[in-house]
This record gives sequence, structure tokens and C-alpha cells, in this order.
Amino acid sequence: MTVLSRFLSQNKSLIGLIALIVAVSLASPNFLKLENLLNVLRQTSINAAIAMGATFVILTGGIDLSVGAILALAGAFAATLIAGGHGLASTMLLVLLAGVAIGAVSGLLVTYGAVQPFIATLVSMTVLRGIVLVFSNGTPIDSSGGDASAAFATIGDGYVLGLPIPVIIAAIVFAGCWVALTQTRFGRYVYAIGGNENVARLSGVNVTLVKISVYAVSGLLSALAGIILTARLESAQPTAGLGYELDAIAAVVVGGTSLAGGIGSMTGTLIGSLIIGVLSNALNLLDVSSYYQLITKGCVILLAVLVDRQARST
Amino acid sequence: MTRSRLPIIAAIAFLAASTSVAQAADKMALVVSTLNNPFFVDLSNGAKAKAKELGYDLIVLDSENDPSKELSNVEDALSQSVKALLLNPVDSDAARAAVRAAARQHVPVLTLDRTAKGVMVASHIASDNVAGGKLAGALIVERLGGKGNVVELQGLPGTDPTRDRSLGFRQAIGAAPGIKLVATQPANFDRTQGLNVMENILQAHPDIDAVFAANDEMALGAIKAIGRTGRHVVVVGFDGTPDGIAAVKSGALSGTIAQQPALIGSLGVETADKVIKAQQVPASIPVPLKTITRE
Amino acid sequence: MAIQPPISTKAILDLNGISKTFHGTKVLDRVDFAVASGQVMALLGENGAGKSTLMKIVTGIYEADAGGSIRLNGAEIRFNNPRQAMFAGIAMIHQDQNLVPGLSVAENLFLGREPLNSLRLIDHAALRAESRKYLDALRQAIDPAIRVSRLGVGQRQMVEIARALSLDARLIIMDEPTDGLSDVETEILFDSIRRLRDQGKGIVYISHRLGEIFKICNAVTVLRDGHAVASGHIAEFDEAKIVHHMVGHEIADKYPHSAAGDGVKRLRVAGLSAPGIQEISFEAGEGEVVGFTGLVGSGGTELGRALYGALPARAGSIELDGRPLSLRSPADGVRAGIAYLPEDRKTEGLIQIDSVEDNMSLTALRRFVSPFGLIAHRREDEAVAGYIKTFAIRTPDKDTVVATLSGGNQQKVALAKALMTNPKVLVLDEPTRGVDVGARREIYRLIDDFKGKGLTIILISSDMPELLGISDRIFVLSRGRLNGAFGRGEATQDAILQRAVA
Repeated sequence: MTVLSRFLSQNKSLIGLIALIVAVSLASPNFLKLENLLNVLRQTSINAAIAMGATFVILTGGIDLSVGAILALAGAFAATLIAGGHGLASTMLLVLLAGVAIGAVSGLLVTYGAVQPFIATLVSMTVLRGIVLVFSNGTPIDSSGGDASAAFATIGDGYVLGLPIPVIIAAIVFAGCWVALTQTRFGRYVYAIGGNENVARLSGVNVTLVKISVYAVSGLLSALAGIILTARLESAQPTAGLGYELDAIAAVVVGGTSLAGGIGSMTGTLIGSLIIGVLSNALNLLDVSSYYQLITKGCVILLAVLVDRQARST
Repeated sequence: MTRSRLPIIAAIAFLAASTSVAQAADKMALVVSTLNNPFFVDLSNGAKAKAKELGYDLIVLDSENDPSKELSNVEDALSQSVKALLLNPVDSDAARAAVRAAARQHVPVLTLDRTAKGVMVASHIASDNVAGGKLAGALIVERLGGKGNVVELQGLPGTDPTRDRSLGFRQAIGAAPGIKLVATQPANFDRTQGLNVMENILQAHPDIDAVFAANDEMALGAIKAIGRTGRHVVVVGFDGTPDGIAAVKSGALSGTIAQQPALIGSLGVETADKVIKAQQVPASIPVPLKTITRE
Repeated sequence: MAIQPPISTKAILDLNGISKTFHGTKVLDRVDFAVASGQVMALLGENGAGKSTLMKIVTGIYEADAGGSIRLNGAEIRFNNPRQAMFAGIAMIHQDQNLVPGLSVAENLFLGREPLNSLRLIDHAALRAESRKYLDALRQAIDPAIRVSRLGVGQRQMVEIARALSLDARLIIMDEPTDGLSDVETEILFDSIRRLRDQGKGIVYISHRLGEIFKICNAVTVLRDGHAVASGHIAEFDEAKIVHHMVGHEIADKYPHSAAGDGVKRLRVAGLSAPGIQEISFEAGEGEVVGFTGLVGSGGTELGRALYGALPARAGSIELDGRPLSLRSPADGVRAGIAYLPEDRKTEGLIQIDSVEDNMSLTALRRFVSPFGLIAHRREDEAVAGYIKTFAIRTPDKDTVVATLSGGNQQKVALAKALMTNPKVLVLDEPTRGVDVGARREIYRLIDDFKGKGLTIILISSDMPELLGISDRIFVLSRGRLNGAFGRGEATQDAILQRAVA
């Protein structure tokens, strides 16, 4: 009981998620069907993976606008390799490494270049979007035709033990991120830098290395999301991931993490992305007209943030 | 309104044309929103072919989807004393300045595919999206034998193609009393969203018979979602992109409504030629679309 | 001791029987407090005695419990918000300054009540002229058009006082106004306070520096545990008496000092130069406290940072136990066995939004990591609990956010954080700044304990009695260079000052 109440007090956004689920279940009998719930989880997995990477960045007081562009580039890269006959393992390894490298470049700009994170990652985003268009010639890249194409597609729509593979991947990502954030020195340093970078540096924290690492992690998880997305569609879209950076930031903030850095949690981000995922699903199930969907989304995000704020101040 | 102004613009253009001695071939410019997309490459190829046929020198400039690049392209074209400007705007609102710049130099402007808002042009040549929507609706009605549950996946809310395609589609299925529209949801012309939205709709309506997607990208996403259910569903897309046509050939897509970009380009040059020669042209020229099916 | 009646009958502010309860805890209990025209009233007490709560009631931030009365110029009043208090003529000069750095001095002075011209636009000429008027009244040659960010701490304080004057404040409350001021700036501030006093304003002066109280105040009120335990004319008090009232008992040994270790020299610094310091050479032994002092800007802080690796050395060498050290970052310092307590707790020492535990273990986190790279929480908890106990840190628990602790307790957390790395050398930069008398003594006792355990302690301090009280040797810095050395017992305040200004 004390464990539960403590958990609830630290994750106020969970109340919002539960309220949303109750409301949607009442409004649509189809919501609680197992298949639909698995759909929600599968659709949420991509945003959740990106948002978890973004959580590290935001906790240090930074921001990463390049996640959607990294996703698109990683997808194009993966589809090309798979269609060209590369194996699944080598493709994934190469694409994930590319994600880490791209993220690290943003991190270098932020640390050694002393460029503000917003600008540094805006630059990354813009350049990477251009590279995606050049690389793909503006057209979708089909991932079929290679030896590993079928296996690759399984990442997107396969099941293990009755769970969609993207959901299992997202669960592993969550577990890894949670451990890194709460159980390791790296996680503690991330909080410390967001809390006060100057104090962290004077406390002997290698601020530069930690900051480069958080952007690299964000790049890694964006690339992973790109692989999942491309595998689901068996095709890489040059425009994939447009606006995903804002969806990720929204999930992080709805989950109670402060954009000023230093305060927040991985569990909160998981809940935040679920709130956004459940909402998108519900709007489709209830056949809400397109114009009202955006209004509803905005209002729910605002509501979630206000509930969190309210709960925090009392 | 547009029509009443036309003779004046045409007369000005004629005056401008007659003052210069046509020794070399007369020039026309095509400022195209992007050449990074096969649709617009086809459009400019159609224009080039027609220009060659009619004896014009056609300058093609790429705006790279950037409205400011577009404006400087237009200025560059005007400085080369073109007789007419074919403009495929990046953005309907942002094109205003470019059209005004041409008007100041008395060069007639024809817009292709996308309109320029708030300014007069000599003519607007574009696919007839309403008629295309009707074609899609008619194909679905025919395939379902006039009876069944239908889903509509709409494009980006608030854009002209979204509105017009939806309007035509509804007119077509409205005429068939046995067809029931069970859900209308936006998926923003995006393949991923087409997949996600279709998955969600299938939860609420497992018994659907047909889907109209306002572009091929969404249609291809929807096919992915439907494939998992094993149910046979008629899916009709729009645009006739290479991926879309491939899907039609493989049978995954029942049909797509193809625009004819080369025809848009070719009609553009043909109409510009008439304007230069001070002939009457309609303010808006709808370019027909065609239904592509496996047969 | 009986509470004395207010000295003057012309009271500007008169509080009677003020109580305040938070969550069932009485933090103020029937406090009487009065300030008369022309009075500079020292409000003294340890942290947590109720000084800031009392002042927050006066300025309308808190509401007092029912029962007492607040009179301003004889009329009973009750403020619901700080704005009301401001317009009633009560101004507070904050420790954390309330100026907008990006705006000009004039814009700050009249923020929210800018003079407008006939077009309803800001009348910049009038704005500057009015600002000039109030700055002149303080004899300040600050240009009203200059940005506040370009002013020093002392000048910013003057701007705040000018703002108070512009609001026609009759009562001005100053909370630790000399913190961060140089001696010259302090003198200017005191001049201004005397002038305000002569103009008939009432001033409440809150400070931990008892020396200042006798220089500038003419009346004293001492709070202890929410009670006003003493009040009266300054002439009735001396330092010992005030401390007695503050802590409730006599402090026998203000500066505990054990003899230095056996003289094994562990730290050798030769020709050390870094931005702000030049050619510093000295040696420090096991179990020795080596003190450094100088005027503001003479290089004390820079020396501390260079010894820790936070400031890159340009030339010279640092040797510890015969091994030369290459310190390029604080991380290098930590690894070499050097710990550092920065001068400013709030911006350099502790992460204010984090918990006591997270702060305390931050530097030493490496010690609590298991072979798998995971933090061993139980070991960490035990170590933190141990320090909370031995340092007598008053905190509800280890998860309490550090910002809610008093200055003295925060400083003990910072000290524990430094010591948790098991250092050989401990560099302390102004270890008792903003710390109340009771906690101060505890910190001195701790320093003496570390010394007994063989630590080499480098003490950088501008607090003369403290420096003389606990150092075994004292070096004087002047413009970044060593300019004098004294053994314990040789040094006097005058001798040190002479070397410092030379």
C-alpha cells in the first residue's frame, strides 16, 4: 500500500491516464478489446522509444529537435540495406550505430561548440531532412526483395508470446532507460546537470561526456524507432517522423518532466506517451471529425499538465 | 470576375510581345515547386515537350519547396524577358508576391496544380480533384455492387485536395443508397498514419467492405492494417504514384485515381501560347484524371 | 531577561503579540517588535528563530494568526499581499536580489509604474530624471541608463534602496545586505543607512555579522525559537550577551583548536599561476589548517579552484605526498584526493532542487557503485545517514529537498559531500558565510575533527576572527600574490590587514 501510494504521488500523470482509459472505455465498447489494446501499445511504442531518449536530454536541461529526422534517415538507411540483401543483425547494428553517431554530433555541437541545444538540434534536423531527401530522391524506399526482408518485416508486425514485437522492444527500452536513470551514476549525473550544471561540474562530474551521451542515446533510440516504423510499413518514407519531436516532447512533459531540467522520471514519460497513444486511438474509435481532433488533443495535453502541476504544488 | 479582366491582361501581353522582334524563339518560364518529386518532374517534362513542339524556349526553375527561392526564381525569369510565366506555387498564399512581380512587368502568369490566392492569373490548370473523387466513389460502388460499409481516409485537414476529393467521393457514393459511410478520419496523407488510423477504425468497425484513401500513401498504410485481418476489402487510392500503381498491379490495391502531371504541364504551355497570342482562355482548366485498375 | 519597552514613542511599526503557526508548529509566539523613526533596529537570531517569518508578516507575504495587532504609524493594518505593504511604505531589500538584469537601472526603479507621456508611451526623459533624483539622494553616481547586469553587487543594492525610496518607504528592511559586498561598498552602504536614519526612516537590519551590528545599529531585538527574548538600546548589549540570547547558553570555546599534526608536509605548491593568481608557493602538512585571506578579488577563490582543478593552472606545480598532480578538471581533483567546498552554496555547492542524499553522494558516487555499474542504494543510504547523524544535520529525512534547509544545515550537507570522497586535502572557501552562530561553531568543531584525523585543510576566509581562531598558519594574498605569512599566535587583525592592502 505504501509502495503504491508513494508511486502514485510520484507519478500524478497516472491518474490522468486512468481517468482517460475509464472515459474512453465508457464511450466506446471496442476500446478494451485485447486486440485494440495491443494496437494502442504497438502504435505508442515508436513515440515512447523516442520520448524515452528525449527524457535524458530534457532532464539535462537540453532539447532534441532532430529525433524525427534521425528516424527518417535511419529508416531510409535500413530499408536500403535490407533491400540490398544485408542481414538483419548487421543492418540493425549499422543503423543503430549511425543513430548514436548522429546524436553524438549534436552533443558535440552543444558541448564543445557551445551552441544552444535548440539551435544545435535544429541544425541537425534541417541538415538530416535534406540528407534524407537526397538519399531517397524524395520517394519511398521499399525494403522488400532482400534475403532478410521477411525477417525485417517481422520486427514491425510479428508477435512473441502474444505480444507485438514493437511493444516488446519498447518494454526493453523502458527497462534499460529506467535502470540507467535510477540505478547508475550516469542517471544521477543527468539529474545533477539539469539541476545545476555548475554545481555538477564542481562536483567532479564530467559534464561534457554526460551531455554528449544523452544526445547519443536520443539518436540511438530515434534510429531504433526508425527501424520499427520502416519494418511496420516495409517501406521507408522520406517524410517519416515529421513533427515527431513535438510528440516526443509532449509525452515527456505530460509525464511530469520539467523542460527546465533536473526534475522528471522515465515512468512519467511512459505514462505520458500512453496518454497520447490512447487519445489518438480513442479519437479514431469514436470517429471524431478531423477539425475537432486537434482541439481535443491540445486540451487533453493541457489538462494532463495542469493535473500534474496541481498535484505537485499540494 | 477573372474572366472580365482577361482580355486586358491578354492585350497587355500582346503589346509586350509585339514590341520585341521575335528573332530567336520566344521564351517562357516554368517555376516549379520542387523537382524532388516524380510528379513535378513529369509535369515539367510534359511542359518541355509541348514547348518544343510549339517552338518556345522553356526555362525550368526549381523552387526547392521554399517560397523565398520561388520569388527569386520568378524575378530571375522576369529579368530574362519571358513572354509568359508558368507558376507551380510552393504555397498558395506565399505565391502572391511572385504573381505581383510578374504583373508589374506585364508578364501573364498561369498557375499549375496549385492556385495563387488573392491575385488574378491568366489561367489556372490543375487536376479536377472533385471529378477524381467521383471516379474513386464510382469505382467502389461498382466493385461492391452498390452495397456495403465504406471508410474514408482523408488528407491533411484544411487543404484543397482534401476537401475536393472528399466532396467528389461523397457525391458518388451518395447516389448509391446501399453504400454506408461508417467512418471518416484524417490520416494526413501519411503512410504511417494511414496504417495506425486504419488499425483503430477496424476495432470499431470490423465489418467494412471498402476504403477510399485520398492518396496512395494512406491507401498503402491501410492495406497493411487490413492485411492482418484477412478480410477482403476494396481499397482505392489517389495520385497513381509508382508505389500505388505497383500495388494495383499486384492486386493489393483495387485501383487508384491517377493525376496526369505531364498533361498538366503540356496544357499549361498550350494555354500560355494562346495567352501570348491574345486568344481567349478559360480562367480555370480542369485536367482530367484517370482510373487505373488491374484490368 | 525582561523585555524592554521600545526606545522611542514615535513608532513607525508596532507589532504586538504576533503569533504564526505552520501545520500545527508555532514558529512565532506572541512576539512584540517595534521600530521607531530614526531607529536602525538589528533583528538577530539563529536560522530558524523566526526572523524571516516575522518579516514576511510585516511585508504581507504571510498572514499572522488571529490575536495580535500590527500598527503602522499608529493605525492598525493587515496586509493581504506584498503589493499592499509596498504601497503602505514598507520596503524589503532582498538577499536574493529582485532586479531584472537585462533592464536599465531606471527601468528597474520604476518597473510596473513607468511614467507615461501624453501618447501613453514610456516617458524616458522623466524616467531618467526621476531615477537620477533618488540615486542622488543616496549620493550614487550610477548612470540610470546603464543595464543592471553591468553593476556590481553593492551598486545593485543601492538601486534596490533607491527603489524603496522612490516608493516613499518609511520602513526599510535589509536582509544580510553586506553579503558579497567589499569593505568599501559596505562603508558606502553604511553611509546611506545613516543618511536614511537621519531622514527619520525606520530600518530593520538583519545580519549574522555581529561586528556590523555594533557599527550601524542603535537598537537590538533578539529572537530565539519564535520568542522575542531581548530588546533594547544597543548600549545595553555586547557581543557575548547577544550570542547568549541567541543560543540560549554561553559559548565557552568559540573556536575549537587542537594542535597541528607532526609536520609531515603532504601538499607542496610551487610557483602556481592561474587566472587571478601568480606564483603561489607554499606547503601544508598532515593535520594542519592553512589559512588564506585577502581583500575581495585578491585571488583566494582562484587559489582554491586551482588547487582543485576547477581553474586550469598556467604554470607551477602541485605535489601531493610526493606525486606531481596534473589537474585539468574538478574530476581530476576528486581522483587525486582533493575535496572542495565552494564559496557560494546556492550556485556552486549544492543543487537546490535535489534531495539531501542526492547532493551529498554526488561527488563520491563512484564509491557506491557495484561491479555491474549499478548504484548500491543501501550502502549509499547508510553513508548518508551516517553523515546526517555525525554532522547533526537538521533535516526531516534524507529525501528532503536541500533548498528547504537553513543555511547552516545546507553548509553541513556541502561539507559532508566534500568529505564523503575520503579526501587527503580539504579546500574550504568561506565555509561559514551566511551560517548562524550555533551552526558555525559546529562547523568549526567538525573542521577540528578532520584535522585530528590527519586531513590537510586549506581555509580561504575573509572572516578575520574565524581565520585567526582556527588556522595554524596564515598566508595573506594581495592582488593574486602571496604577500605575507604568519604563524599561529603571531598574526593580528591589524598586521594581516596591513599586508593585504600593501
